[in-house]
Amino acid sequence: MIKYITKRLLTAIPLLLTISFVCFVFINAIPSDPAEVALRVNQVTVISEELLEQTREEMGLNDPYLIRYFNWLIDCLRLDFGISYVNPQRTVLSEMIRGLPNTLQLACWSLVLVVVISLPVGFFCAVYKDSLFDKIMRTFIFMTTAMPAYWVGLLLMWIVSIKLDLLPTSGMSDGYKSLILPSITVALTYVSTFIRLIRTNMLENMKQDYVLYANVRGLKQSSILAKHVLRNSLHTCIVAIGMSVPQLIAGTIVVENVFAIPGLGTLCIEAIFNRDFPIIQTYVLFIGILFVSFNLLFDIIQTVIDPKLRKEF
Amino acid sequence: MLRRLLNHKGFLLTMGFILFITLIGIFAPVVAPHDPYVQDIMNKYAPFSWQFPLGTDNLGRCILSRLIWGIRPTLGLAFLTMLGTIALGGIMGLLSGYFRGPVDEIIMRIVDIMLSFPSQIMVFAVVALLGVDVRNVILANVFIKWAWYARMIRTSVIQHTDKNFVLYSRVIGNSERFILFKHILPSIASELAVLASLDIGWAIINISTLSFLGLGVQAPIPEWGAMLNEAKNALTTNPIQMLAPGIATVVLVTAFNFLGDVLRDALDPKEEM
Repeated sequence: MIKYITKRLLTAIPLLLTISFVCFVFINAIPSDPAEVALRVNQVTVISEELLEQTREEMGLNDPYLIRYFNWLIDCLRLDFGISYVNPQRTVLSEMIRGLPNTLQLACWSLVLVVVISLPVGFFCAVYKDSLFDKIMRTFIFMTTAMPAYWVGLLLMWIVSIKLDLLPTSGMSDGYKSLILPSITVALTYVSTFIRLIRTNMLENMKQDYVLYANVRGLKQSSILAKHVLRNSLHTCIVAIGMSVPQLIAGTIVVENVFAIPGLGTLCIEAIFNRDFPIIQTYVLFIGILFVSFNLLFDIIQTVIDPKLRKEF
Repeated sequence: MLRRLLNHKGFLLTMGFILFITLIGIFAPVVAPHDPYVQDIMNKYAPFSWQFPLGTDNLGRCILSRLIWGIRPTLGLAFLTMLGTIALGGIMGLLSGYFRGPVDEIIMRIVDIMLSFPSQIMVFAVVALLGVDVRNVILANVFIKWAWYARMIRTSVIQHTDKNFVLYSRVIGNSERFILFKHILPSIASELAVLASLDIGWAIINISTLSFLGLGVQAPIPEWGAMLNEAKNALTTNPIQMLAPGIATVVLVTAFNFLGDVLRDALDPKEEM
């Protein structure tokens, strides 16, 4: 087991390096000269050629590409992501930390909703396959995959906040209340995937021999379903849901914008409009690292909880 | 396969519906009752009427006309995206699956890297890098999607290269190019079509989302996502404005998703759940 985990950890390193390198190439591919931008950020009014050359030397822009990459990487490991182009008083890190709690809160609530909704619905869809409930849910899933998240958000906002006046429309001023609608919106885009996943998984498990054997033994249907089938399909589902967490965090971009939640997504969109590249770069790096680490984590969890996979290493 | 499709009522209906929408889009200048750009500020937020069947928006423009004109960018950009994706993904997959060896190795490593990034974030990153513009939105979408196609097409090309007719063709001395374009490409074409129709819905949603955020099609042009962006600002005063473009998007995307499902079932009847 330990051998497998170390092996898996080691394979993650090249992937992380590639991601960081892509992010580094990204910021160097922008059409403007970083030295010029840096001067402008520091409000130097007259930018002469000598000054530019001097700044380039100071910033290490004349060094070879790879050396610059390693310097940048070391800065990143020290959590120094540079300063925002638009707001020179603010570091990228402080901007990110400001937005992070809101985004995490939103993502957490959405995750809870996804689990709470999709587990029972998927379970009952599989148990009562082709029943009315199953058919209604399947139509519902089919519809939700066609709905753009932002439109769902607008609809909810209109019906719940404006027509019924139950919840605040946007912003973060009302504590948990202002997170209800956004998390429903985020959850709705992922619920359909997981209902489908759980349903197919359970149906596959129900066809297995051990279920037949349990039936032959005369066990109660409910205990077969709960103890055997559900348990076996839960493995896959937990892993799938866990691996989708970074996607959930990334998926809040649109919803945050609709509901004007000051989180990472809003920060990123603003940065795109203002061409504030260090922020975009850090955001991409952040999500990329999240992706790799969650994949890694749940890969390992999967091998730990699922004995069938253990032989392979 | 074609016969099975032609007997499928759902397929004919959806196909007919999509063609109908496309035709309306093509003949937008004839079909639309008003000019989509003409503003009539005195007549803003008009309710449904014979003159304005879906009312008017915050600038007094006819929503129905804007909806009809909006078919062009919405569908057109989605088609363009898929075309680009298939072209790039197809070529990469074909090269990788047919020649194997180092070519395969390099292309597949690039694909692996592409797939290890969350696609949604990549779109934003590419748009940020290239600047806010419609063309860049399409480029970004093609850029993040081709890797999926390359991988899938590679698998099916590998399956086909070992088939007897390809081996025979090589034995009798046909050139590699001939084999690639006359044997392999037609064999995987149907699969490509299914993949593409499955993803048009995805492309429509993706492009309209970017337009909604203001990163794609810009304001005065009638595109459904951009229309919803304008409707958002009038949410409290005139919420009806956001219904039409939203419902239109849902219906169109549902149609494409359904089409993809039917095609997939027809191509692979085993996989029924």
